[in-house]
Amino acid sequence: MPTLIAPFGNADWLALAPVLVVAVAPLVVLLADLLVPRALRRTSALALTALALIVAGIVSLQGWGHPFSAFGGGFQAGGFTIVFQEVALLGALLSLPLAGRLGRDDQTGGGLALLLWSTCGALLMAGASNLLTIFLGLELLSLALYCLCALAAAPSAREAALKYLILSSTASGFMLYGMALLFGATGSAQLAALATGSGSHVLLALGSGLFLVGFAFKLSLVPFHVWTPDVYEGAPLPITAFMSVVTKAGALAVLARFAYAALPQADAQALLIPIWVIAALSMIGGNVGALAQTDMKRLLAYSGIAQVGYVVAALAGTTPLGLRYAMFYLVAYAFMNLGAFGIVGLLSRDHEEGSRLTAYAGLGHRRPFAAAAMTFFLLALAGLPPTAGFTGKLLILASSVDAGYGWLAGVLIAGTAISIYVYAKIIYAMYARRTGTAPEAQAARRPEPLRWLGVGICAVAVFVMAFYPLAPSDVLPQVK
Amino acid sequence: MIFALWLLPFAGALAIWAFGPQLKRLAGALGAATVLTSFAIALALAGQTFTGRGVKAPLVSWAQGFSFGLLLDPLSLLWVFVITGVGGLIHVYSIGYMSGDRAFARFFAYMNFFVFAMLTLVLSDNFVGLLVGWGLVGLASYFLIGFWFFKPSAVAAARKAFVINVVGDIGLMFGIFVLFAATHTTTYAGVFAKAGSLAPLTVTLACFGLFVACAAKSAQLPLHTWLPDAMEGPTPVSALIHAATMVTAGVYLIARCAPLWDVSPEARALVGTIGALTALTGAVLGCVQWDIKRILAYSTMSQIGYMIMGVGVGAYQAGILHFYTHAFFKATLFLGAGILIHALHDEQDVRKMGGLARRQPFAFWAMTVGTLAIIGFPGLSGFFSKDAVIYGTLEHGYPLLYAIGMVTAGITAYYMCRMLFVTFFGSYRGDVPSAQLGVAASTNPPVAHEAPSGHEGAHAPAWLMQVPVALLMIPSVIAGYVWFGSRDGPLAYGGPGSLWFGYFTTNFATRAEAVQAAVPEWLSTVLVLALVGIGAFVAYRRYAASAASANAVERLRAESLTAWRPLTRALYFDDAIELVFVRPASAIGAAFARVVDPQVLDGAVRDVAWLAGWLGREMRALQTGLVRGYALVVVLGVAGFLVYFAWFGTVR
Repeated sequence: MPTLIAPFGNADWLALAPVLVVAVAPLVVLLADLLVPRALRRTSALALTALALIVAGIVSLQGWGHPFSAFGGGFQAGGFTIVFQEVALLGALLSLPLAGRLGRDDQTGGGLALLLWSTCGALLMAGASNLLTIFLGLELLSLALYCLCALAAAPSAREAALKYLILSSTASGFMLYGMALLFGATGSAQLAALATGSGSHVLLALGSGLFLVGFAFKLSLVPFHVWTPDVYEGAPLPITAFMSVVTKAGALAVLARFAYAALPQADAQALLIPIWVIAALSMIGGNVGALAQTDMKRLLAYSGIAQVGYVVAALAGTTPLGLRYAMFYLVAYAFMNLGAFGIVGLLSRDHEEGSRLTAYAGLGHRRPFAAAAMTFFLLALAGLPPTAGFTGKLLILASSVDAGYGWLAGVLIAGTAISIYVYAKIIYAMYARRTGTAPEAQAARRPEPLRWLGVGICAVAVFVMAFYPLAPSDVLPQVK
Repeated sequence: MIFALWLLPFAGALAIWAFGPQLKRLAGALGAATVLTSFAIALALAGQTFTGRGVKAPLVSWAQGFSFGLLLDPLSLLWVFVITGVGGLIHVYSIGYMSGDRAFARFFAYMNFFVFAMLTLVLSDNFVGLLVGWGLVGLASYFLIGFWFFKPSAVAAARKAFVINVVGDIGLMFGIFVLFAATHTTTYAGVFAKAGSLAPLTVTLACFGLFVACAAKSAQLPLHTWLPDAMEGPTPVSALIHAATMVTAGVYLIARCAPLWDVSPEARALVGTIGALTALTGAVLGCVQWDIKRILAYSTMSQIGYMIMGVGVGAYQAGILHFYTHAFFKATLFLGAGILIHALHDEQDVRKMGGLARRQPFAFWAMTVGTLAIIGFPGLSGFFSKDAVIYGTLEHGYPLLYAIGMVTAGITAYYMCRMLFVTFFGSYRGDVPSAQLGVAASTNPPVAHEAPSGHEGAHAPAWLMQVPVALLMIPSVIAGYVWFGSRDGPLAYGGPGSLWFGYFTTNFATRAEAVQAAVPEWLSTVLVLALVGIGAFVAYRRYAASAASANAVERLRAESLTAWRPLTRALYFDDAIELVFVRPASAIGAAFARVVDPQVLDGAVRDVAWLAGWLGREMRALQTGLVRGYALVVVLGVAGFLVYFAWFGTVR
């Protein structure tokens, strides 16, 4: 059994560097909040947070091509970790422009500090390779999020936070129990130790099952998705955007590592079948659920359920190519989803979030650029060219067919067909003109360069990724 | 060069959109100029497509079977000719037709965008670009059909076109997904190279998806219902959509994917049958219409049915020839009708026309040429192409489709002649003062009428509208003669030896030789001509003979009132779609949504719950948000997982 309590070596510090940046930065943010004049507080907090995230991103990238293991096997640095860390950092960074909606002015500093700590949890999860690190990262991620969800004046925010707390704790409970069984089966907390296949099969299978249930909750795969729409709807907009990418990136990293590196080769495929089944359920259920929604945040919650279903479907058969395509689609999803949230943010006014679908009717005539960008992101979410969503789906299709999961490919196609109707409905509404009405008077708006910058980055990325699917090729050896 | 050809209309659209207010009247000229320049470039590039396999222009390429580029081969060149050539003439015509419209610049921005979308569709060398173009064409048509958005009917028509086009997009995407999953490539060359080695079921599935797309875009049964309604757009839009661009996209797709259809006899039979039934249905429904544009709309549907039938059964060259000739005579017909509608202050009901031959001689001649071409009058373009399609079905072994094609030819002659006679013969039955009617469209005094088109002020000079029509009349007459000429001499007619066939051999080189038909071609032609003659004669007896002209008003009213109801209701297709698809779909959608999203059910409970105090409120809300539905779903999920893993753990 590896020593869990040992002095830190250089490798450990190196592996943790990006995590540490994001862990320490909140202290600076909070300190600055006390020292900076009131008028500049929001700006300084945002700037410091953005800086911390960018620095962490650069630090994380330094490890590219140098995989190594730290903390006695508790943390893996390398390409796999870096990809998921970058997605998490990106998600946090691109939800910052929306942070105007994060509580009162005097709550911004604290809110952003929590957001950084939550990101920190996701960064840990990206590299976590033993059960304890996984749990640590997950709880760090979630605890900060419970508070963040409540950071809005609306009562629905507190309701969302409470719901999230209870359901997420339930999921953690399942997972913890699963971890206990896994530990009981193998006598080790290391994921790699599970892969040897020694120990009790019943315990191993049941432990895996409960562990996966926990992560299905966190990933909100059908039928463990029920909390997602309520929480997304109630939480403040930037937090919803943050959750839709960062939480999912962290949880996917663990799921992928577990699927690829932790399960005994002989049993892996059979043990993972339930995951492919719920991925299929999510692809259908998420899109069908989105059909009936009248609120953009709820709709994006359901869309996210389906999108994660696509990512998980890419892992089917646990082929090396599948992992690369899953990563590609996750990055694409991050950009298109954050882009869509960015537009929701642009449509928000001071005291209302622009999330009612009715706010989108006729948008194409009132704000042509916002409508065009939204159309583009919706096309990407629907999986139509020329967007990264289309390319990603094609790649996933190819990999799942090659891996022998043709039925999953079929479900993906069916889910996509449904989703096109979901998004086409919105696109239609944006460009429909009500008969006989004159163009509405334009409400005075403040220019919002930050939000447009975020949206612009997302749009360019979604477009470029459609033609250059830069799926990193050297990540697989670094999973284990 | 090929990029300029592709992007010029788009640049025009952008410029018009951005500088519309400054450009004013010049917007139309700019739009027409960009499209016609594209046409000139296409002419310049034509020589290169005759040699080798066309002009290729790769854009982006990377591993895993993805590469994006442009391809100008004989097939796409033909479409580019029609899109930019006929499309350009329609642009010029529109400068006159839309001259009084308030949104003059916006109209040309949309029209240019439409041309660009269509060029994307036909110039792409891969399925991805095809899908992009396919979607853009749908979007552009949505804008153009709903152009007069203050008309509720226009908005409804645009909506219907949008919905059906989305069905088509889904079909196309399905087909592409299947093909990519099977071949791991999206380029035409890559997919077709592997077409022969794929499982027949895969190909049939993919073909089915592609054909759903064709049916939606090309108005084939049962997805045709948007086409007649699309007449709500301005008349040049109808001409552009019907003659030059959108509806023929399906024909292009099938011709382009010929290697796939060759592998799947089931798909061929399906496409041929749907095409034939569409041709027949369109023709029958055309017999009971009174709106001149709707008559033409149904005739388009019918003619596209012919083309789809042709390319579907494997007579690709014949189907393409019919597309080619149809583009000219249908544009002539629509633009001629536009001149009439313009002169009659947006009157489209043929019952209120009559006797216009003397008063609108130019429109009369244009419509006459168009009508003679479409019914297949010997020597005009439609004669060659329709005959080739009809005989092609027999050559490829589909005698039933052959019979349907023959009957349809007769009905076509009837309803087209009916339109011509009712409109131009007899005496005038409308209410526009004859003083205004006798003169050409151009010199009409500005009439302060509340037309839906929002015309204001004087009309543009007549030549702007007449020159394009005159230019289109020429190929309407002579376009069919490309069927002649071969190695065996300039007068050898049709068949695999002709230059037309030779031109397309690079596209359809592997086509199996047609089976020998039981009926010789000359006899078939005579039979078709006999049916056409009968159709035209019946129309003459009913609408143009002196007895019919004498009491035309009463006869037409009686005919309108006694028409067989299923026909006037367009054979209930709209109702059937509503009953079979729309209602069950929304019901199923709602039911599923209830299962997936329990909150939809719990909403009412939830609202009431907010009455309690703070803590109670929080907890209550929580509980109501989590009631039975949530718990049940989650518990079932967990139980399912545990049962599976426990079972797996113990049996192993």
